[in-house]
Parts: sequence; structure tokens; C-alpha cells
Amino acid sequence: MAGLLALSRAIDRFNEIIGKAVGWLILLSILISAGNAIIRKVLNTSSNAWLEAQWYLFGAAFLLAAAYTLKQNEHIRIDIIYGMFSRRTQHWIDLLGHVFFLMPFVILMISYFTPYFLLSYRSGEVSTNAGGLIIWPAKALLLAGFILLGIQGISEIIKKIAIMRGDMDDPTPFISAHEAAELEAKALVEELKQ
Amino acid sequence: MIEFIAQNMAPIMFFSLIIFLLVGYPVAFSLAANGLLFFVIGVELAPLSNGSINLSWPLLYALPDRFYGGVMANETLLAIPFFTFMGIVLERSGMAEDLLDTIGQLFGPIRGGLAYAVIFVGALLAATTGVVAASVIAMGLISLPIMLRYGYDRRLASGVIAASGTLAQIIPPSLVLIVLADQLGRSVGDMYKGALIPGLILTGLYMLYILLMSIIRPKSMPALPLEARTLGSGVTSLIIALIAAGAIAYGAHVWLSPTHGDNADILGATVGTIVIYIIAIADRALNVNMMSRLAQQVIIVLIPPLALIFLVLGTIFLGIATPTEGGAMGAVGALLMAAVKGRLSLDVIRQALASTTRLSSFVMFILIGARVFSLTFYGVNGHVWVEHLLTSLPGGEVGFLIAVNILVFLLAFFLDFFELAFIIVPLLAPAATALGIDLIWFGVLLGVNMQTSFMHPPFGFALFYLRSVATRVPYLDRITGKHIAPVTTGQIYWGAVPFVIIQVIMVALVIMFPQMVMHYKGVVVDPGTIEITVPEMPGLGLPGVPSLDGAPPAGGAPAPGGNDLSKPPSFGNETPAQPAPPSNDLTKPPSFN
Repeated sequence: MAGLLALSRAIDRFNEIIGKAVGWLILLSILISAGNAIIRKVLNTSSNAWLEAQWYLFGAAFLLAAAYTLKQNEHIRIDIIYGMFSRRTQHWIDLLGHVFFLMPFVILMISYFTPYFLLSYRSGEVSTNAGGLIIWPAKALLLAGFILLGIQGISEIIKKIAIMRGDMDDPTPFISAHEAAELEAKALVEELKQ
Repeated sequence: MIEFIAQNMAPIMFFSLIIFLLVGYPVAFSLAANGLLFFVIGVELAPLSNGSINLSWPLLYALPDRFYGGVMANETLLAIPFFTFMGIVLERSGMAEDLLDTIGQLFGPIRGGLAYAVIFVGALLAATTGVVAASVIAMGLISLPIMLRYGYDRRLASGVIAASGTLAQIIPPSLVLIVLADQLGRSVGDMYKGALIPGLILTGLYMLYILLMSIIRPKSMPALPLEARTLGSGVTSLIIALIAAGAIAYGAHVWLSPTHGDNADILGATVGTIVIYIIAIADRALNVNMMSRLAQQVIIVLIPPLALIFLVLGTIFLGIATPTEGGAMGAVGALLMAAVKGRLSLDVIRQALASTTRLSSFVMFILIGARVFSLTFYGVNGHVWVEHLLTSLPGGEVGFLIAVNILVFLLAFFLDFFELAFIIVPLLAPAATALGIDLIWFGVLLGVNMQTSFMHPPFGFALFYLRSVATRVPYLDRITGKHIAPVTTGQIYWGAVPFVIIQVIMVALVIMFPQMVMHYKGVVVDPGTIEITVPEMPGLGLPGVPSLDGAPPAGGAPAPGGNDLSKPPSFGNETPAQPAPPSNDLTKPPSFN
């Protein structure tokens, strides 16, 4: 178990670094989009590459951050019934969900996206829009997103089992969406008082 | 038994989805798992289904393309992170607080003035940020204590705050409208245009309610006493300043129109606004005090948000920018505003980006999960089942709209709008189209309806945000020294009820008067310059994905075809067509050989 937990910690750290770093791509995307709009209006020129770069960057951000979002337990659930279960039942739901809902989907997608990406990469596929970008990096991002999600899934399964066996504390204890809303409000209030 | 399952896959799949979701595992992956499980079952049972299941293994290979083309390369949804980021930055910039302080002072002296101020600021914030939490919390922190201090009815005070905060959901630029536009396959610009008037009318209805209450129960909302008017009076000065600004704008318009043509309207207004803003700032900084303090403060506080609203909505409506670009420019504008106020730090940006990334990630993965679900659901003719179910409702168009709105109203108790928009809306859209309902009108209607879910007790999120900032313990007010009792949860809940009723009235009004939405069609825009980045995204449909086993495509809806064959009258229709060939013969020269 100790070895597995070490693996899980390594995965968590890795995905945390990536998940926090990719946020900056959204800022870059915003600047490109605003700049593109202004330049188009003022200079009357535009390029499809700039348009495509925006969703490339956003795609990179949301795909690569999905694993970190999973680690932070931030993928939204409908907790109206889940919230009524005992914590132990919730652990079981999470564990079975990881094993039977998340992992089969992720593994299937990895197995589909690998040839999908390779085909695009080998043929040097380029966007059909005039002056567009090469396409394979976008498809590589989809593959990478699912791979990260897959390894985070492994980490979550390890942690869940460890928590249920009593080998570690629960890093993300259950808070209902409404409690989360109240916590968010408190954080905001703190900030405004500064 | 197996055959029964095979022939009723769509309802079975739909009801298992409900169970999958209620269990409480994250929505995105539950949707995907449900889709994949029923894909496997569907392929196995396809031979027993009398052709109602069009699934085969190769169809699964459509998934990568659906994720790439439909989710990732989706320029409409790109607006989600942009507007989210803009909202969070504005929330940190303290704009809401300044507005509430100043507008409260402006309206305070009249009966119910603070309530009007809350509604007005709520609408103004809604037109910039679109974040419910931020508006409700700012109002709960700033306006609620003042309202309690001067003896406003607690229910009324908390209700008006919660409701005004939710205006962010319906007044453009709101995230709900972006997602609805994407799922209904319409342009976000049209959705914004369609929602603008209903959003403003709704704001008007809130104010009307306050007006009625101030007549029926005047004691529930006293005017601010003289000593509470910290900015003093000076409304006359403000009116004169506004007239001056208008005159400058008109002058600039006249001066610029020969050289700038149609743009002169906007340029003139811009000049007028900038001049009065600079005068107000100079007036205060140099201590000339040509204007009253109230007038200075109102102009200085109100113009930056108005400029931001113009930067976003103005450019979208005028066709200068796409909604996505409008969001990006708004985000840059929000950064500038926060910087000018000295509220921008690396930490603020980092936090805003972290929240934006998190929201984007879970929203986009719900969409990914929904794509897997819909691949199977369409393959088992689920859309045909839903469409048949909904179009056979009594009452035609109105019956359908009423039924759908009741359904969404109830579902909104436990689904949030992203889930509703990605799971439920794509099922409703084909039925609405079949009944000839305009999808923008339909979307706005759903938007007003979903807004209610933020405020109906006991689950509404706006009520929770308000609860967490409203006082739970009695305290001594530091200005009047009066004893202020805590705000109970019951008061917050009851306060929301009148506004939920107003909301239902508004849904009814939108159904009765579609023209308040339909005007969006009237504005002719030049598609050559504007529509560049607004592709008409198909909803969750299955276009371009032929089923690879040679069966008819999933959209082919075998059911109607089967019906036609079973009807004897169809032969009757053919018979009248028969006489045609002989008449042709008559026109020909006889060829008796």
C-alpha cells in the first residue's frame, strides 16, 4: 500500500502542477481574441490562425485541467441523494464510479484517440481554413487530456481504497453544493474586508 | 422480455440515466458511462428491435470526431471562460460595492429607494458580469445592513436582493444564454438580442412590485432619513450635468456626421460620455465643486460599468465583434478597471484563472459526456421517442410550451442549468422545431424559467449566498445604535416567494407575447463581416455520422415511413394521379403504325 500511495502522491503532484499552469493559457486566449477583434476592426485584416489559436489554447486548458479537477473533487455531481448517504456509502459510490464509470470510458477514449492522433500526425493534417493551423497538436491535446484523466483515475482509486481501509485521511471530505456556496461566500466576504 | 427491452430501449435508457445521475457520481462521467453501457446493450439487442435500434460497433469511432469537432473546436463555447473570467475579475474590482453605495444614495430619499437601487444595480451588474454569487453577496453585504438599519421589511429586503442577483442569468451576456444558443444551434448574438427586452421587462416587473408594495404597505420601506444621505442632495446638479453631456454628445454628432456617417451616433455618445466623465473627475480633483458631490460621485461610479457594458454588448449588437470577442474585450476591460482601482494583483489574476479553468473543465466534460450519451440515445431512436411524446401533448404549441416549462421548473429544483442545458434541452429542441417554435424564443423562455431555480426555496443558490452573508446573530447598529435582530432563514425563503411568482408571470408573458423576443430577426446585420467566427453548431444531433452497417441513418426516423405504408388511404391518393399519363398521350401526334 505504501508504494501505491507514493505513486498516487506523485500522480497528484504532477497533475496539480499541470492543472494550475494551464490556466494561464486562458488568459493568453483572451488577449489573442481581444487583440484579434481590435486589429480586424482597425486594420481590416484577420487570420484564421489567430481564430484557431483561441480554441487551441482553451482546449488545452480544459482538457489538461480535467485530471486536476477530478483530484480536487470539483466535477459537479447531483448530491441531493448522495448527500444523504453515510460517508462510507459515498466512498463506495466513488470507488465503484471510478472503476466502472470513469476508467472504462477513459481507457476506450485513449485507445481511440491514439490512432486518431497518429493518423493526423503522420499525414501532417492542416486545417481546411485558409491560413489555418496544423491539426495534430489539437488532437494530441485530446489524447493527453484523457491520459492524464486516466492516471488521475488510478490515483483516485488508490486513495479511495486507502481511505476506506483507514490508511489515510480523507483529503476531500464531502461538502454539499450548498455548503460549498456558503464557503465561497465566506471567502469572498473575507476578501472584500481586506 | 428481451424483445420488450429491445423495442423500448429509449425510455429504459433515459430512466437509467436518471438513476445514474441521482446516485451522485460526477455528472460528466455518469453520462458517458450510461451512453457506453447502453451502446453495448443496444448493439447486442439490435437484431431483436424491429429496426428501432441503429447501433453497430463502428459507430463508436465517431466519438473522437464528435469531441474534436463538436466540443473542442467550438468557438461559441469559447465565450464561457471569457465571460467567467471577466465576472470574477469584476467581482474583485469592487465595482458592485461602489455602485451600491452611490446608487443607494441617489435613490435613497424616495420611499423604497434602496430596493430600487438594488434592482437597478442588479440589472447593471447582470449586464456586465453574469455571476449570480457576486451580485447577491455584494448586495447582502452592503445594502442589506442599510435596509435593516432604516426599518425595511426583512422579507422584502432579502427577496429583492436574491431576485436582483439572479437577473445575471437572463440579461445578456449570461452564460446560460451562451450554452442554450449552442445547444439549440443558434447564434449567441441572436440569443442575446432576443433576451434583452424580456430581461429589461423583468427588471421593470421587479420595480413595479416594489412600487405596489410601497403603496400598499408604505411602512415596509421607508425613505432614508436626512442624516443618512451622506452625499447630500444635489439631484438638480446631476440632471444639469446629464443635460450638458447630452448636448455635448449631440454637438459632437452634428460635427462628426459629415465625416463619419453612421458611426457618428456612437462616436457622438462616446465623446459626450468621456467629456462629462473627465469634467467630473477634474471637478473633484481640483476641488472646484462646480457639480454637487452627489452628481460627481454618480458620474464617476456609473460611467466605467456603462463603458464596459458598451464594450461588450454594444460591440456585439452593432456587429463589430462576435460574442466570444465581446467576452474577451470585456475581460480585458475588467482587468483595466481593476488595475485603475488598484485592485489588480498577480494573485487576483491567478485565482480568477484557477476558478475559470475549473468551471470550464467541468462544463466541457459534461458536454463530452453528453455527446457519448446522445450518440447512443439517437441510435436507439430516443429523439423520436421524446419528440413523439412531446408533440402528442394536447394544446399544440402552447400546450407543449406549458408542459415543457413545468418540467424544466421542476427539474431545476435539483439540476443546475449546465446539466439542464446539455441533457434536457437537446431532447426538447427537435420537438420544438417540429411544432414550428422559434428556437431563440424557446431558449429565452427556458432562460427565464431556469433563472427561477436560483431563487426558489429551499434549494435556490441565491438564497444560500444571501443566507451566508446576512446576519444570524443580533447586533447593535453602529450608526443609529439600534438593536438589529438577525435575519431568519424563514424570512429569506418567504421573501423569495413573491419574486418566484413574478418569474412565473414573466414566463407566461413571454409565451403570450413572443414579439418581445422575435424582434431579434428585425435587425439586419452584414453576415460578411460578423459571422466569421459564429458557426452554426448543431446541437447534440448526429449529422454526418452515417451508421456504417448500411442501415438508414439514425436521423431517418423509420417510424413515419412505416406508418405511411400501413395506411390504406395512401393508395387512394395515388389513384387521382393515374389519369395524367393518358392526357400526355393526347398531346402526341398519333402514331398508329
